[in-house]
Amino acid sequence: MRKELLKNFVDMNEVEAVSIAKALVETDGGPVAVLETCKEAMEEVGRLFEAGEYFLSELIAAGDIFNQIMAFTLPKLQQGDVSSIGTMVLGTVQGDVHNIGKDIFKVMAEASGIHVIDIGIDVPHEKFVEAIKEHQPDIVGMCCLITLGVDSMKQTVEVIKEAGLRDGIKIIIGGGRVSEAVMEHVGADAWADDAARGVRLSKELLA
Amino acid sequence: MTIDAKKLAAERAARMKDAIALKEPDRVPFTGMGGDVVASYAGLTSYEFNFDYEKQSQAVLKYVKDFPSDRPAMGMTGLGNHVASLAFLEYPDIFPIISRVDGPTNDILGVNYCRFPGRELGENSSPQFIGSTYMEAEEYDALIADPVKFCYETVLPRMVTAFKDLKSPTAHAAMTRLALEKAKASAAMRDLFVQLQELGYGPGGQSIFFAPLDFIGDQLRDIPNLVKDLRRYPDKAKAAAEAVLEPLLKVSANAQGPGVDTAMIPLHLNEYLSPTLYNEFYWPTLREGILRLAELGMKSQVFFEGRHDPHMETILDLPVGWGTAYMEKTDVRKAKKMLQGHTCIMGGIDVGMVIAGTPAKLDEYIKEILGEMMPGGGFILSPNIGNLPRETPIENIRAVYEAVERYGKY
Amino acid sequence: MTVKDPQSLAEEREARFFGAMELKATDRVPFTGLGGDIVAAYGGISNAEYTFDYDLQRQATVKYLRDFPSDLPASGGAGIGNIFLSLAFLDFPDLSTSIAFTTGPYNDVLGVKFCRFPGRELPDNSSMQYLGGAYMEPKEYDELIADPVKFSYEKIVPRTSTNLENLSSPTALATMARLGIEMAKHRASSRALGKELAALGYPSVVRGLGWAPLDYIGDQLRDIPNLVLDLRRHPDKVKAAVEALMEPLLKMSLMYKDVGAKYIFIPLHLNEYLSPKLYNEFFWPTLKEIILKLFEAGLKSQVFFEGWQDPHLETILELPAGWGVAYFEKTDVRKAKKLLQGHTCIMGGIDVSDIISSTPAKLDQYVKELFAEMMPGGGFIFSPNIGYLPRETPIENVRAVYEAVEKYGKY
Repeated sequence: MRKELLKNFVDMNEVEAVSIAKALVETDGGPVAVLETCKEAMEEVGRLFEAGEYFLSELIAAGDIFNQIMAFTLPKLQQGDVSSIGTMVLGTVQGDVHNIGKDIFKVMAEASGIHVIDIGIDVPHEKFVEAIKEHQPDIVGMCCLITLGVDSMKQTVEVIKEAGLRDGIKIIIGGGRVSEAVMEHVGADAWADDAARGVRLSKELLA
Repeated sequence: MTIDAKKLAAERAARMKDAIALKEPDRVPFTGMGGDVVASYAGLTSYEFNFDYEKQSQAVLKYVKDFPSDRPAMGMTGLGNHVASLAFLEYPDIFPIISRVDGPTNDILGVNYCRFPGRELGENSSPQFIGSTYMEAEEYDALIADPVKFCYETVLPRMVTAFKDLKSPTAHAAMTRLALEKAKASAAMRDLFVQLQELGYGPGGQSIFFAPLDFIGDQLRDIPNLVKDLRRYPDKAKAAAEAVLEPLLKVSANAQGPGVDTAMIPLHLNEYLSPTLYNEFYWPTLREGILRLAELGMKSQVFFEGRHDPHMETILDLPVGWGTAYMEKTDVRKAKKMLQGHTCIMGGIDVGMVIAGTPAKLDEYIKEILGEMMPGGGFILSPNIGNLPRETPIENIRAVYEAVERYGKY
Repeated sequence: MTVKDPQSLAEEREARFFGAMELKATDRVPFTGLGGDIVAAYGGISNAEYTFDYDLQRQATVKYLRDFPSDLPASGGAGIGNIFLSLAFLDFPDLSTSIAFTTGPYNDVLGVKFCRFPGRELPDNSSMQYLGGAYMEPKEYDELIADPVKFSYEKIVPRTSTNLENLSSPTALATMARLGIEMAKHRASSRALGKELAALGYPSVVRGLGWAPLDYIGDQLRDIPNLVLDLRRHPDKVKAAVEALMEPLLKMSLMYKDVGAKYIFIPLHLNEYLSPKLYNEFFWPTLKEIILKLFEAGLKSQVFFEGWQDPHLETILELPAGWGVAYFEKTDVRKAKKLLQGHTCIMGGIDVSDIISSTPAKLDQYVKELFAEMMPGGGFIFSPNIGYLPRETPIENVRAVYEAVEKYGKY
């Protein structure tokens, strides 16, 4: 059944994947098996995306399948079943109110075992600082879609530095307008203009 | 308009036209680089720029005077209201009033997908479009049956606060107020164009068209829903794209002012879709639209958002000289290899680099890109995305403009 | 004659007009000028051109006002009163006051069933006309009483404006946008005219509009023949309706204050149809209340008493002294003066028919005699008894009146 689930999930057979997962979750050890298979499937979808075989629409669809399955799986999991490889504070920076990129990234990051604290859109610099203090993340993810976000990210990084919090964390920036040059300009540790790359690099930063 | 200004305007227009016709002009045409920086360069907040016509015109003139290009570089002032354009399809005379939402008109309408600086956003933010779901999956049949009626009766009330109840005095008063506000805006715009003419810029408007599937994704269903629809209800999505094609073409005709011979087509879903989905759901109606716009006397300027690489070859389905492929992240050099002699290519300047680079690096970069892109013509130099943020270093902008003069001559 | 700069001339004219309203005698009798279709004719254009071409209208108006100077700018008429529309948009003060008159171009947009314009339904040189009509059934009184604004918007506007027939249709919304397009043109033209008139020394005097509640029912909703029957058949409903209409109509007039109005013009119609008994029961109480409320708010009224007001003349004395202006059509101003001197400013004095049919010499003599009787004690504004001089009015007669004002009007 795990194999079937994996195949149908990766092939984007939404209805089949969800019904197999529903059956599997009821078996002994099922919830953990479903969780792990779905994580595996998401990882494979991300790999296919980076290989140019899958596209954003598949990432969105995969995220939706993942969320559908998790809705009935998570309540069945025991404490300790869900392991986290690290904590990330994630938000779209001040001035930018877009969420589509952030939301695609978020579900993929969660599927990969990152505990994501989503602090929303149009997030003021200080709110990033507060969230870092409160949640002690390993990594901070900043998103933007519009060009305005570039300097907003730079300012956010500066405010984090001023608060003396920069050294303990990694910063990854993401969104349609970021690049190597933008990363250097902003003073981040990594950049990604697609969610799959973003998750892969986040995991590298957490290693 | 002085003789010199007239001559300059003619030169600039010819430069663009030649490139679109796949020829080598006297110099590489350059669209200029505008956006939020136009406001900040004049010392204005984005709020002032978006809500004060007078200040806006002054800022544009100042910027254009200091940074001359082949098209006047404007700032970010509004967002399209395509559902309204479609809903009022049969009333072409009011198209200019309802087709675009800017700050003051959004104050009147309350368009749910619009965010403006100094209102919902900080005063130095850019105007933004926030996708949302304005149509349910169950409503595909209604959309397919009559897209215009559906947009008017069902979508507008959901999308625009003032049109919540179409028969209410609030909705009616909003239309009158909208017209009165637009009259102020267009008076200011007329004055601006007169002054731009003195600076050697011709009229140069563009019509607009949307890939039918983008219209459904961006305006009606929201992209995350639409991509799921493509799997769950493929026939409906396809039929819907086909159903909105004709009305969208009529919108383009309504948007085509006198003498307008190009139409802008900003794509969005292109980079979301696999070639299979692209070729099945997206490209056929887009392609048809491009061909039909040509019949209306308009060459298309398609903005391929993101990476268009997987779908590049489909452009060759179009006839030679069909128009301009404006690339965002697709490498223009790579595009040139495939499309030379067939499609005019536009783009080439990475905005990220203009923000984060140095004058020396930009000079070097422009030199290289022009060295590769100019031979054989059919190239328009442009930033890869139309909005330079407020903080863009002015010396970087200047470096690009100077490099164009230095290296752009044929 | 000393040449005055336009601004002091305007101030002088304004002071003259408002001085009379304050029941005073100033330097000269204030004169409203003689407007109407004659303005278009004098400008060498048809009434259709005057009505539909803002530039031609402005040129004709300026030419006329340059050649025939008066204390207020006389003009060729703004349009046809459309209280339905104004009342329907009562909660939108920026629009309500601008749509109280349906002009020719507005009518092209709206298709108002009770309006007729030259160059459209009428020949090019005809005058614009208001056609009565019954747009409300007697059984609808309760609905009107319950919410006059809603009733006007939902029921009457669709019935009276062809292009607003279906309020939820795109045609209706597009019509409202088109109305805005026309309004913007109209406002731009008015601003341009205002500038030219200021240069000619004319004051910018904004006049608001007001309505007697029963007239609104009679003229615009039920049509007069029906209404006079209603007064007998459904007296309680009619009375309740006029009372329900008083607040919204008052609110409508008060809105003009925000656009700079200095006084409110209230044209009456039913006054001469009614016996003192009916007048005092149905017409006068709410009209009086509106005038008093406006007065409290600092706005004087200028009431046009159409036809013979003689049977009701004494009711005017129920108003406080200095309440405003009584503008008479057929009522003899001399007779009115005897009753109202020191209490009410009187306006009128010359019959338009006389200007059309008389001679310069006779008109000169007439004005001389009229002024001798009306001027003493002040509180008199000289004006034609109705606002419209037809195209064919002999221009020498017009000139004779203007010259007589200068000759005999000095205090």
